[in-house]
Amino acid sequence: MSSISLKNVKKSFGAVDILQGIDLEIADGEFTVFVGPSGCGKSTLLRLICGLDEVSAGEIVIDGEIVNDVPPAKRGIAMVFQNYALYPHMSVAQNMGYSLRLAGTDKAEIEKRVGDAAAVLRLDKLLDRKPRQLSGGQRQRVAIGRAIVRKPQVFLFDEPLSNLDAALRVDMRVEIASLKERLGTTMIYVTHDQVEAMTLADKIVVMHAGRVEQVGSPLELYRRPANLFVAGFIGSPRMNVLRAEADERGTLRLENGTVLPVTAPAGARQVSVGIRAEHLSLSDDPGAFVLRGRARVVEHLGSDMFVHVSVDGASDPVIVRCPDEMELAIGSAVSVGFEAANAHLFAPDGQRIVSADARRSAA
Amino acid sequence: MFDLSTPLARAVFALMMGLIALFLFFPIYWLVISAFKGNAELYQIIPTLYPHKLSLGHFTNAFEQGHLLRNLRNSLIVSCSAAALNTLLALYAGYSFAKFRYAGRRGVMILLLSAQVFPFGLLLISIYPIITDLGLIDTRLGLILSYIVFALPVSTYMLYSYFSQVPSEIIEAARADGASELRIFHTIVMPVSIPAVVTVFLYGFMWSWNDLLYAMTLIVSEEKRTLGPGMLLSYLNEVNSDWGGAMAASIVASAPIVLAFAFLQRWFIQGVTAGSVK
Repeated sequence: MSSISLKNVKKSFGAVDILQGIDLEIADGEFTVFVGPSGCGKSTLLRLICGLDEVSAGEIVIDGEIVNDVPPAKRGIAMVFQNYALYPHMSVAQNMGYSLRLAGTDKAEIEKRVGDAAAVLRLDKLLDRKPRQLSGGQRQRVAIGRAIVRKPQVFLFDEPLSNLDAALRVDMRVEIASLKERLGTTMIYVTHDQVEAMTLADKIVVMHAGRVEQVGSPLELYRRPANLFVAGFIGSPRMNVLRAEADERGTLRLENGTVLPVTAPAGARQVSVGIRAEHLSLSDDPGAFVLRGRARVVEHLGSDMFVHVSVDGASDPVIVRCPDEMELAIGSAVSVGFEAANAHLFAPDGQRIVSADARRSAA
Repeated sequence: MFDLSTPLARAVFALMMGLIALFLFFPIYWLVISAFKGNAELYQIIPTLYPHKLSLGHFTNAFEQGHLLRNLRNSLIVSCSAAALNTLLALYAGYSFAKFRYAGRRGVMILLLSAQVFPFGLLLISIYPIITDLGLIDTRLGLILSYIVFALPVSTYMLYSYFSQVPSEIIEAARADGASELRIFHTIVMPVSIPAVVTVFLYGFMWSWNDLLYAMTLIVSEEKRTLGPGMLLSYLNEVNSDWGGAMAASIVASAPIVLAFAFLQRWFIQGVTAGSVK
């Protein structure tokens, strides 16, 4: 196992800055997920840690040693690629044992380690097959097996499940989770799928435009997003955001004058109020809650339903999650409400601000 | 592409294809039947469309005279060597252009390809004194090197196109597995590029095998003469026009190419399409 430390790591391709100075600590045995939209630099950061690309500035430290100039194979890491990257002309066993053959490991030891990894990944009956004779899930397991046989200090996964269909993705996610428990090795996992991030991670690193937006446990990020970007990125459906204006007493009003049940801190003017779908209440009685509007779309999921409501005085519709037993016609008048404790307030620069209500209850 | 749903359209299509096939294959048909005709029938004023009397005389003459087999051997030595050397150089150059980034890469590639702009015959004017200065005139090595000058740019570009489509991830995976760059090329990239290697080898081989001009100019002695000049000087010279012999010798001369294509056809076709289809 190994700890990893990134100190002001930058990467540029020509004049384009891909990573703008990343500082990050990853503890021994920790499962860290880099998450963010396409082009945010998460895969680039993983490649830098792997040693496939060189850093433009900064330091990458693995187990106390600066590895900027250390070749990939000597960093004690193994990487699982998005498109498996199996050697097409080699059998499963040869694919898995390739790194050991390069390292001069003796044949018996290679066979033992490949056999052990194959047993763990249920590949033992497929060892003589070529990659083209395998299904997507089996190929991905071979790619993971190839990493396991090396007994690396750090596992790097670059969107390993993105090429699989939805059902297989769930199976493989469970498999990776059990692998994490069994091996206890430091793992870094890149994904743009926040469900993978939430379910697998000990720690999530949310990235955006080459910067780290927030680092924390999955629930920390979900419950206390540091800014509007994280609030929108973590959680499905996205957090609802109402643009409101505060008066000098902190009373927040929508465009049409509707007063929101949360108070802005002193000095705040333009405030974005974020509320998760499950924290909104919906009633078919237009007078029940403060926000009035009409149901635009109703999505039935079986256990729940999502109702998209266009709220009077708000530019974007809000999504309300409620039990799937309500009878609601499209276009019918509804009202929506929420409690102040569940509202997240953000300043115009997107940073989180604490509401006056929260300050009072904390005091 | 074409709407072939009506019988008329299919008939027109079949007719067009038949005409194209006739256009392409008639010279070959003529070559074969002429080789099997006796001299009397061959030189009739009104030619026959098929040999009325089969004759193997031209073939036995060709082999008995001895020079055909010697020319064939020379051609094989020169063409195989040129094709092998051309393939070897193109492999490394193509891989370097496709998978490494370095200053001047594009410039060198354009320079290499620009050699293709000059006509085959024109470059002989500059190649001849170089080969002479190097003392390689009338040597097989001189001929081999001059063939490579022409085959290498296109061969490099063909392999560059192929290698560009080899996923970089498998190269990176091998790098992460601890393989050196040369090892990656030899154990990972080359085994998955066999169709392209075969294609380039055949391309280089055909260049050399079909050449007449360079072989005529750079080789002087009879014992080193390759097939092209050999046939021309033996059968169709100032004092002699042995068309039947030339036709029989052409069939023998084409045999290695036909055999190579038949044997390597599967790889060759894969190689041709592999570069153009994602």
